[in-house]
Amino acid sequence: MVDTKTKDKEVIKKLEGLGEQVYKQINQGANPTVALPVRSLGNIFFDQKSRTIKLGDKMSERQFLNIAHTRKFMQTMLVANEIKKVIHENATVSIRDLYYALKHTIEGTNENTFENQDESDPLIEDLEASLNLLREELHLAASAKGIISGPMVVKDGNDTIDLTRMGSGGWSVPSNVEEDRIEIKKMEADYVLFIEKDAVWRRFNEDKFWKKNNCIIITGRGQAARGERRLVQRLNKEHKLPIYALMDADPWGMYIYSVIKQGSISLSYSEEKLATPDTKYIGLTVGDVETFKIPKEVTIKLNQLDIKRLNELQSYEWFKHKKWQAEFDLMKQKNIKMELEALSKKGIRFITETYLPQKIKEEDFLP
Amino acid sequence: MPDEKTLTRIANPTADDLAKEFREHSVAEFFKKNKQMLGLSGKTKALTTIIHEYITNSLDACENANILPEIEVHIKELEAEHYEVTVADNGPGLTRETVGKAFGQLLAGTKFHRLMQMRGQQGIGASGATMLSQMTTGKEIHVITGNDKEVISCDLSIDAKYNQPKVHNIKILTRKFRGTIVKAEFKEMKYVNNEQGPLEYVRRTAIANPHAKLTFTDPSGQTIAFERTAKTIPDKPEEVKPHPRGVTVDELLNLAKYTQARRTNSFLKIELDRMGDTAVKEVGEKVSFDLNKDPHALSWREIEEMVKAFKDITFIAPRTDALRPIGEEQIKRSLQTIVEPEFLSVVTRKPQVSEGGYPFQVEVSVCYGGKAGRRVGDEMRIEIMRFANRAPLLFDTGGCGITEAVKTVEWKRYGIRDSETAPLTVFVNLISVHIPYTGAGKQAISNDEEIVEEIRLALMESGRKTARYIISKEHERLKQEKKRIYMKYAIEVAIGLGELIEKDPKPIEHKLLETVAKRLKLDEQQEKKMEAQTDEDLEKELERLNKEDKKKGKAKKPAENEEGGEE
Repeated sequence: MVDTKTKDKEVIKKLEGLGEQVYKQINQGANPTVALPVRSLGNIFFDQKSRTIKLGDKMSERQFLNIAHTRKFMQTMLVANEIKKVIHENATVSIRDLYYALKHTIEGTNENTFENQDESDPLIEDLEASLNLLREELHLAASAKGIISGPMVVKDGNDTIDLTRMGSGGWSVPSNVEEDRIEIKKMEADYVLFIEKDAVWRRFNEDKFWKKNNCIIITGRGQAARGERRLVQRLNKEHKLPIYALMDADPWGMYIYSVIKQGSISLSYSEEKLATPDTKYIGLTVGDVETFKIPKEVTIKLNQLDIKRLNELQSYEWFKHKKWQAEFDLMKQKNIKMELEALSKKGIRFITETYLPQKIKEEDFLP
Repeated sequence: MPDEKTLTRIANPTADDLAKEFREHSVAEFFKKNKQMLGLSGKTKALTTIIHEYITNSLDACENANILPEIEVHIKELEAEHYEVTVADNGPGLTRETVGKAFGQLLAGTKFHRLMQMRGQQGIGASGATMLSQMTTGKEIHVITGNDKEVISCDLSIDAKYNQPKVHNIKILTRKFRGTIVKAEFKEMKYVNNEQGPLEYVRRTAIANPHAKLTFTDPSGQTIAFERTAKTIPDKPEEVKPHPRGVTVDELLNLAKYTQARRTNSFLKIELDRMGDTAVKEVGEKVSFDLNKDPHALSWREIEEMVKAFKDITFIAPRTDALRPIGEEQIKRSLQTIVEPEFLSVVTRKPQVSEGGYPFQVEVSVCYGGKAGRRVGDEMRIEIMRFANRAPLLFDTGGCGITEAVKTVEWKRYGIRDSETAPLTVFVNLISVHIPYTGAGKQAISNDEEIVEEIRLALMESGRKTARYIISKEHERLKQEKKRIYMKYAIEVAIGLGELIEKDPKPIEHKLLETVAKRLKLDEQQEKKMEAQTDEDLEKELERLNKEDKKKGKAKKPAENEEGGEE
């Protein structure tokens, strides 16, 4: 483990380096410019070796003397400076804190430096990507979203937490789960079940599914944030736990799964640190409708947006596996999607007592 | 107005056949019957027409005497729909002998058949106004006129039965005065201050006659003066002979009646333009009679034969040097003074010859922004100022070839997004010895394809100049806008960067602003280099500027979607 102080110094040096470079351009009377990696679909690729999404080497320039860039250029300078301040003060702040810290009215105008958090968040990602730093190294935390329960004990600072004793609410996954912050003291589970939806996770928790099945249940409540993704990676790498994903059978659920497994496009620069390529897709699938004799009336017809998204998914490199392609084709052919809650039609405990055990036993997964 | 043929017959008692018939009716009777044909239907139109007649007379008189015109118009409301009109000029004045003819003999002029660039081609003449005064009030008109010898005042009416002036009460005045003042009362009319009212007529007359000073006092007593912006009197229009290609059978018949020539071949050479010996010889070969014949004895059929023969003979195009445009500089000055636009451009096209053999020329101006356009309530409307030989055309807007030409120009291509509601005044003056009016009212020109096209071309040329102005203004606005944006962000950049690298932000800001100034100057040079020339270029540039404006709007995000995490 790298010493925090040394790491902080290195980060500050990188931030100042960026500033020095701009300062030099200004003194030369040149158009101040920062080079940033392009963080869009056009500049990412699926790395077969690490089995994660990675950022390519295309760069773009953000120029001060470009009317379309100038505001963002100004904001980039402010973000870099603010992060340096946070590190100096040895604090960790949320990206929302940072947004408020940066927001002020520009002198002589009624315009703010930042109008909403949507303006500051991507700039943080730009800096992470261009300086090759993790958000945690910048002393920034994303808002915590995930919840977890199951047979494990963690040490968070001075607190030792038993995740079997978290009641109905579960333990809220912190945004920074690096080893220096969260230590896994005890691990007794056989596998991790990653559940897409909060409501379904709560049902599983109420039923003590983790106890009966000796597993960890975790949810990102929709799209998973970095905290739970990093934690899942650690459970997989450090404790060799299989990760199973339980999602809605629709393009959105399937994409959330792929983010857990291979990473996202916008965070492609740090996916090696976040993605868990061993994750398996347990369900739902359109094939389940026949296998489990699920009544037709609980399925939902695909809309235009679903089909558009489905086609995009089908074209992604990391969904090229023939089993996935077959699933997409079947979905389009049957023209249906299905929510996790739909299984309740077969009985309130059908999902926990029949569906999951059978799926796991028969290893009926999608890769 | 009856067509020219009829008028000619009325005007020429010697034109035997119809003249007899004419004499049997009283002039007043004829006048009453044809009131609406003469452009007097409509209470507003009547008053405007009267003002037109007096002003035209005054302008013509002054110009003929080489005097810079100074005309005062005064309309006084005596009671509802009853007005007293006074028009005073500084012209050469009339004599005891001529005053009667000028104000008391209907259609007495010979000008109905002259090919000459005249403003007095429409309407009823000053005597028509006298007749109208008589008909609606039963009163005589009052005239004061002073020439170099004496100043007289008199009352005047028309003996309707014989179409003869009746001049009463002639007094010799002792005061010094040169010019003519006419004062007449009218009923059944209505003064309005709109696009077709007397004030607008005077205003437009002032625009097209920058050498004249016009003063107008409306019924409420308010006086508006239109100062002259030019000190030169326009050259007198020349009378031109009809070109063989354009002459009609009827016209040629008339010319034959009054010619001094004794033989048809010399008649043709004397009375027609571009008619030489060779052409006469060719005509002789094509017609069935001997050209030595007395022209006074030519029959309709024989004249028809000659006109037909002209169509097969090649003539030199008619002269265009008789045309007298107002001139770009003068139009510009007068529109600047009277319309007060933000920008204006004037285009004078080269003289053209119509298919019919008449020379014509087009002068246009597009005035943009400032006080250009017409205010209707709270809204702006395009203002179309139509002129024929400097005389404003206020009526029959919809059916006019000028209106048609203006409406068919794609103003969008010249940076004017919605021409109907743009601050736009379009000035069009058609000059010709023979204006092709529609119908008898002579308030609109016909939709003649050649003329409409010529006006369109002129408007497009002027439109391009306007577009260039709009573009350069837009460039300037964008430049200022950019400068403002760069400057406000430069301050923030300097503070943020200064803190980041622990340096004084002031010099950073200073250096940044220098760079901004340098860049904007460079941009400007670039734009100058790429100055748009063709229509397409202009269109592209306007589009680009439009887009740039939108892009900038996007750069500043609206404050919404407050919640935002990753993904």
